[in-house]
Amino acid sequence: MLAVRDGELDALGALFERHHRPLFGFLVKFTGDRTAAEDIVQTVFQRMLKYRHTYRTDGSFTAWMYHLARHGAADHFRRANTAPYPTDPADLHEHPDDRPHAAQSATTHDDHALLHAALARLERKDREVLLLSRFQELSFAEIAAILECSVGAAKVRAHRAMQQLRHVYVQLERRELT
Amino acid sequence: MNCQNARDTFAELLDRRTTGTEVAPVGGHIAAHAEARAHLANCPDCQREFAAFRATLDALDTLPIPAPSPALRENFFTMLAAEKRPAAVELTRSDHPGNRSAAPTLGVRIWRWAWPALAGCALGVLGFVLGRTSHPLVAPAGPSTPDALAMQQQITQLQQQVAKMGTLVSYSLLQQQQRPANDRLRLVLTSAMLEHPGDKVINDLISSLAFDPSPNVRLSALDALYPHAEQEVVRASVVASLGREQNPLVQMSMIDFLAAANDVEAKPALEKISASANADDNVRNAARRALTQF
Repeated sequence: MLAVRDGELDALGALFERHHRPLFGFLVKFTGDRTAAEDIVQTVFQRMLKYRHTYRTDGSFTAWMYHLARHGAADHFRRANTAPYPTDPADLHEHPDDRPHAAQSATTHDDHALLHAALARLERKDREVLLLSRFQELSFAEIAAILECSVGAAKVRAHRAMQQLRHVYVQLERRELT
Repeated sequence: MNCQNARDTFAELLDRRTTGTEVAPVGGHIAAHAEARAHLANCPDCQREFAAFRATLDALDTLPIPAPSPALRENFFTMLAAEKRPAAVELTRSDHPGNRSAAPTLGVRIWRWAWPALAGCALGVLGFVLGRTSHPLVAPAGPSTPDALAMQQQITQLQQQVAKMGTLVSYSLLQQQQRPANDRLRLVLTSAMLEHPGDKVINDLISSLAFDPSPNVRLSALDALYPHAEQEVVRASVVASLGREQNPLVQMSMIDFLAAANDVEAKPALEKISASANADDNVRNAARRALTQF
């Protein structure tokens, strides 16, 4: 990003290739809207390009990127004012998962559907911190920078979100069995 | 330690970052983890719950990672190419005198005063023109009479106004057809790459800025209008759109545009934003900074 700031715009292409897919994955799980997620990813990189001269060397690029993404998502929720998740988890599987272990995973489609439903029922702030900590594999220091809170608070929020997910998942599982 | 206290620590125990080297538990956390593990070793119920919790988190980790459409990459690199275009204009004070004392053009009048009722006005005027041409109230007297000539000139001018409005209204209606945002974005970015865009392209970009539901498309349209900021109709359209824009990112970009263009006609709109309690803090600050530049 420093190279982009100093005029080497092609370097943003490398950043895009490295980060756009995890960022999209976060946003589509967070907003439940593929189209909105793509729009927000495009806006994030557009903002990076337009305001590249404001990038500071003392910050983490990843934290900055997710910070921009959070604002984009917040704007999406404010404008859409709809339920923040699709009603059909199958909408999230339009494109195949090309991870090598995906085909060998023992988890059933029903388990994934339950998990998607459980994620949808979390409060937005819990879902956000859970996605950042569990899917994006960010350190607590980075999560704290993104959420603008202390490292300790980020840990507490992440663990509370995990417990809440488990609680909701169990409730959904029992409802299915009864 | 009882079962509930032990289960309250499960999330921490299962998070590799709090049990690994990144954040080493200190003080009370070490003791709490040790007590929880000791409880687990002797409590079959908690062992089952711990295993189930672990399984849930493992399943969460195997959720498929959705892939974006190919259009995302295509749009990004189109945007990057547009930004790298050497014709990007730097707007300086010397190019834009501060006093815009020239009389507003017809286009400026349309954007500043007519756009909120654009569709209704266009339809009304269109109906008037069609009615006059199909059922003339005055029997055609031939082009040689002064009254007929004057009437024809008025009708021609009105038709030209309707043609302009009609273009904008039709574009607006096109937006309502919910074309994919990627398609609309691609059109805007393609327009931005034209070296000599005509009036129709400029109008389309202005319409995108005013009417497109996607903030991403609106931002791209604004960027594409930068090289044409010397046109009064472009600056007037940005001021008009700023008044109804809700997205803080787009608002700030519009304010930056007007500040760079040094458009004093934008001062009332910026003063309104800078004094508005409902405006986003960043937007309010951007408006105040812009006002100091005039």
